[in-house]
Amino acid sequence: MMEVSPLSIILVKSDSKGDRLLFRYPFQVQETIQTPSKVRKNLYAFQGLEETIQSAVIVSTSNISKGTITGFSDEVLSSLFAVKTDLCNKKFELKVNDVRFVSHPTLIQLKNKQADKDDSGIMLINIVFALSALASHSVVRCYHDLSQRIGIILRHEEKRCGYISEQTLSMMSSHDEDPTNNGSAFQNILERCNLANNIKKIYEDLCSDGVVSVRINRWIGLSFCLPQKAHQWHLRGQIVEPEDIDRCIQALRPYHSLLLLHPVEHLIQYTCLDSSPSLEKLLAQYSPMKNLQTLAADSDLTLAQIFELSAHLVYWAKATVIFPVCGTNKYVISPRAPLNHNSPLIEKFNRLFPGCHLIQIINEFSVPTSLHSKLNPLCKTTLESSLAKYIIWMLQHHLLLQLHTYIEYMPTENGSSGSKSLKKCGKTPSPRASSVLSASYPEVARTESESGTSTVSEAPDLIKQLNLENVSFASTDDDKHDYQEELLLDFPDEERSQIFKIPATNTPDDLKLFARLCRKRYFEGTHHVEEIMYLENLRRSQLTQLLDKFRDVLITYDSEDPAIAMFSWNS
Amino acid sequence: MNLFPKKPYPSSKEGVIKCIFFCEFHHTAGPIISCQVPDNYISKELFDSISVYIITKAELQRSTITVTLEDYKVLGFPIRIDNKKYARNAFHFNLCFVCDSDTRTVQYEHVVTKLSDYLLSMEIESAFLSANNPSDNLTPILEKVLHDLNTKGECALTEGPIATHLKVCKIRSDPQLVLDHQVPIFVKALPANQWDLTTQQVTPYIDGFNHVARIAALSDVDNSLVKACIQNLVYYNVVALVPLFQYGNVYCSTPKLRTLAHDNELQKRCLHYVTRSHRQFPNVRDVFRVYAAMSRGTTIKDLCSRFNLCSMRINERKLVQFGVLEGLIRRIQKYPILIGENSELQKSFTGSCTMDEVCCATGVATQQLEDRLERDHNIVLMCK
Repeated sequence: MMEVSPLSIILVKSDSKGDRLLFRYPFQVQETIQTPSKVRKNLYAFQGLEETIQSAVIVSTSNISKGTITGFSDEVLSSLFAVKTDLCNKKFELKVNDVRFVSHPTLIQLKNKQADKDDSGIMLINIVFALSALASHSVVRCYHDLSQRIGIILRHEEKRCGYISEQTLSMMSSHDEDPTNNGSAFQNILERCNLANNIKKIYEDLCSDGVVSVRINRWIGLSFCLPQKAHQWHLRGQIVEPEDIDRCIQALRPYHSLLLLHPVEHLIQYTCLDSSPSLEKLLAQYSPMKNLQTLAADSDLTLAQIFELSAHLVYWAKATVIFPVCGTNKYVISPRAPLNHNSPLIEKFNRLFPGCHLIQIINEFSVPTSLHSKLNPLCKTTLESSLAKYIIWMLQHHLLLQLHTYIEYMPTENGSSGSKSLKKCGKTPSPRASSVLSASYPEVARTESESGTSTVSEAPDLIKQLNLENVSFASTDDDKHDYQEELLLDFPDEERSQIFKIPATNTPDDLKLFARLCRKRYFEGTHHVEEIMYLENLRRSQLTQLLDKFRDVLITYDSEDPAIAMFSWNS
Repeated sequence: MNLFPKKPYPSSKEGVIKCIFFCEFHHTAGPIISCQVPDNYISKELFDSISVYIITKAELQRSTITVTLEDYKVLGFPIRIDNKKYARNAFHFNLCFVCDSDTRTVQYEHVVTKLSDYLLSMEIESAFLSANNPSDNLTPILEKVLHDLNTKGECALTEGPIATHLKVCKIRSDPQLVLDHQVPIFVKALPANQWDLTTQQVTPYIDGFNHVARIAALSDVDNSLVKACIQNLVYYNVVALVPLFQYGNVYCSTPKLRTLAHDNELQKRCLHYVTRSHRQFPNVRDVFRVYAAMSRGTTIKDLCSRFNLCSMRINERKLVQFGVLEGLIRRIQKYPILIGENSELQKSFTGSCTMDEVCCATGVATQQLEDRLERDHNIVLMCK
C-alpha cells in the first residue's frame, strides 16, 4: 500500500544573510555524527573497485530508513530548499532518489526591517514535506496546499506581531550555541520555540489520523484534512482520493442519506466553538433512515446547504453516503468485508450487542436480504429496531453492500442498437412525434382524462397538438391500434413490432407509462428502481408490475450503486 | 492478438520526452547547457533558477533528481569526474530529460542513469565530453536517443568505441501470489521462442480450465516452479488468473455489466468468445439476459436448467470466463467459518480461506465438503 504519511517536515529560511535549515522533525539526538556518504555506501560492493573507476562514485540506494529520510546533511537540504526567487510563491516539487519533497516557498516581508536601507527585509520561509516518492499526484497536491496555508498564516503573523523574526532569531541562536550538529540544537529549539512545537504537532497529526488541528502562535487555527489518510480509520488499506470524494459528492441526490461514522454526541463535541450553526441543526435532526430531502425539511435548511454540509462531513471522514435504511432495501455481505477469526469487529460487535455473534447475524446476508423479509409479523417492532441497529452498525463498518435493481431496454435480439435511433428521434422530433412526447408528460395525461372544455382553458397551446389524439381516444376499438402506433411513433419500426407483441400494450396506461419512462432514458442501466420511483413519483408496485409486464424487452439485474461504491472495500 | 486489451493507467499518463539537454560546470561561467535537442527548449533564465538541482553538491552526485516546474519536469543524474587534467580538478556534468509536468517520468530514471554512465565511460576513454566542442559530438547522439525512445521505446548506440542499449521499461506493480486453486488463462497469444524450459513445459496445459495444482501434475513440474512461471506470465499480461469453474459456482453481475449493452465492440468480442460454434453466433439479448440472471444464490447449474443455453448457442464455461475477465460478473466465494469451539477445525475454517482453497488443500470434492459443513451447526458458510 502507498504510504501517505510524511517522512519529515523541514523548515528552511533564506535571506540576505544566507540560507539555513532551522528545524526539522523528527530528529535524533546522536552521540557521533554519521557521515552521509557512509550511510549510502553499498555494503556488497567490492572494496577498492570504486576507487579504480573514479573517486566520487557513491552507489545510490534508498534515502528512506525507519520511516524518515537519511543520507542528506542539513547543509544540503538547506541549499536545496533555499530556492531562487523565480520559484517562490508557487508549487515546489523535487524528487531525489526515492524521496519526494513538496512545499510552497513563501516570501515574507519582515516587520521590523523595512526601514533598513541595505537590507530589503524579505525572508524566504520554506516548509517542506518529505514524502515517499511513490506518493500520488493527489497526495502531493494536498501537501502543497498544507504548506501554502502554513505560509499564509506565517506571513500574516509576521505582519501582525513579528512572529517569524522572533522565531527564526531564537532558532538561529540555538544553532549557534550548539554547533555540534548532533541534534541537541533541535531539542533546544523544540523546548524554546512555539513554531517548532507547531511543526511537531502537524507531523504527529498527519502520521496518526491525517487530520491536523493546531493553533499557530497560539492565535490562528489551522485545520487540515489529508483524505488519503483520514479515511484509513474506517476503510483500512484503501486509499480514498479527493477526486473519489468529489465524484461521490457530484453524484449525491436528494434521496440519498448520510451515515455518520461516529455517535452524534461525539461529533457535537468535536465541532469547534465557531462552527456553523446549520451543522448543529443538521446533527440534531439526523437519522440514517431519513433521506437528505427530509433532513433538509426537518432541520429547516435548504437542500443545497445540506449537500454542502454532507460534502464536508464526508471529506473529513465523519460520515459516508448511503441509501436511507428502510424495509425494502436489499443487502448482501460486502466482498472485501474483513470477517475472520482475527477480526476485532467480532469482539466489538459482541460488546455493543451482548449475546449476538456478528458472524451469525451477517450470515443472513449471504443471499440478498431485506429488512422486511426478516420480519415476523407478530413481534414486529422490537425485532425491527434491533435488526435495523445491526444493519446500521454493519453499514458503518462497510460490511454490507446494498443492491439496487437496474433496468436495460433490449427490444431486439441485437440489444440496444435501436436505442441510438431513439436518441436521435429525441433530439429532432417530427411535429407529430413531439405532440406525442408532450402528451406523455403527467400533467397533460391528466387533462386528457378530464373533459375537453377544461383542457382548452388550462392549456390552450397544447390543444392543437392534442386534437388528433383526443379524437382517437373518443373513437372505437378499431382506432385503438392507431393510438398505440402514435404513442410509439418515435421508436424504430423493428422495435415497435417487438413491443406490440407484448399483451400489456393493449392497456393504454401501461403502454403510456412504458413509453414515458423509455423516452426519459431510465432503462439504460444508469438509474436504479428507487431513483426512478423518486424522480417520477411512482410507487414500487407500479414499477415492478410494469417491469414484469414488459420483461420481454426490459432486462433487470442487481448491482451496487456505483455513485457510492467508494465507501466499500473494493480493489 | 490481444483478446482483453488493458486500459492504460487512468490517473496520469506516461510522458514523452520533450527535450534532452547536456549541461556541465564551466570553470569560469558556472553551470551552462552545452548541448540541447531541440535547441532553446529550456531558456537560460529557467535553467539558472534550477541549476542548483542539476549541478549539485557532492553529496547528491549519482542521485536521480527530478524537479517539477510549472510546465516541465526535468530529470537528471549528476556526475563528477575527479582528475587533475581538468580546470578546477573536476569535471561536472548532467544529462537531463525534460517532460511535461503532469506526466510520469519514473520509467526514464534507469535510462538516464545508463546513458549518463555511457557518457562517463566515453569521457574517461576518449575525453568525448571535455573536447573543444562537445556539442558537435553530442547532438547526433541526443537526437537519435530522443527520436528512438519516443517512437520505439528503445535505442541502440553502437557507434564509437563503446556500445550501449537503452530501453524504457514500464513500471508495473508486483504480481499477486499465485495460489493452487486458481486457473490461469491466456489473454493474448504467447510470444514465440523466448521462454525458458519450464514455461515451455507448462504452457500447453494452460487452457483456461485447469487449475495450478492440476497443471503441475499434468506437466510433471514442481508446484512452486509452476507458480513462479505463471506469476511471471501474469506480470507480462500474457496470462490472467480466474477462479475455478464448477457448475455449483455462484456469480453475480457488477455495475460494469451495463457496458455490454452499450459497447458494440465489447458485444462483438463477447459473442465471438462465448459462442458454441463459429457458424452461428448467439445474440446479444440472450447473452445479456443470462449475465443479468447471475445473482447471489443462483448457481450455474440453476442457470443451465432455467435457460436453454444450447439452443441459445452459448457455451456457459466461456460465458463465465469472458464475464470474469472483463469484470462484467464476479465470483461469489464461500468462506467457511467456525463459530463454536473446536481446536481441530479452527485452523482451516478461520473465515479467510475460500471453499476452493480448503478443497484444493485437502483434496475433498466441493459438494462433499459442502454437505458435511451444512450438517455442522458450528460452521457458517458466508458468501461474499
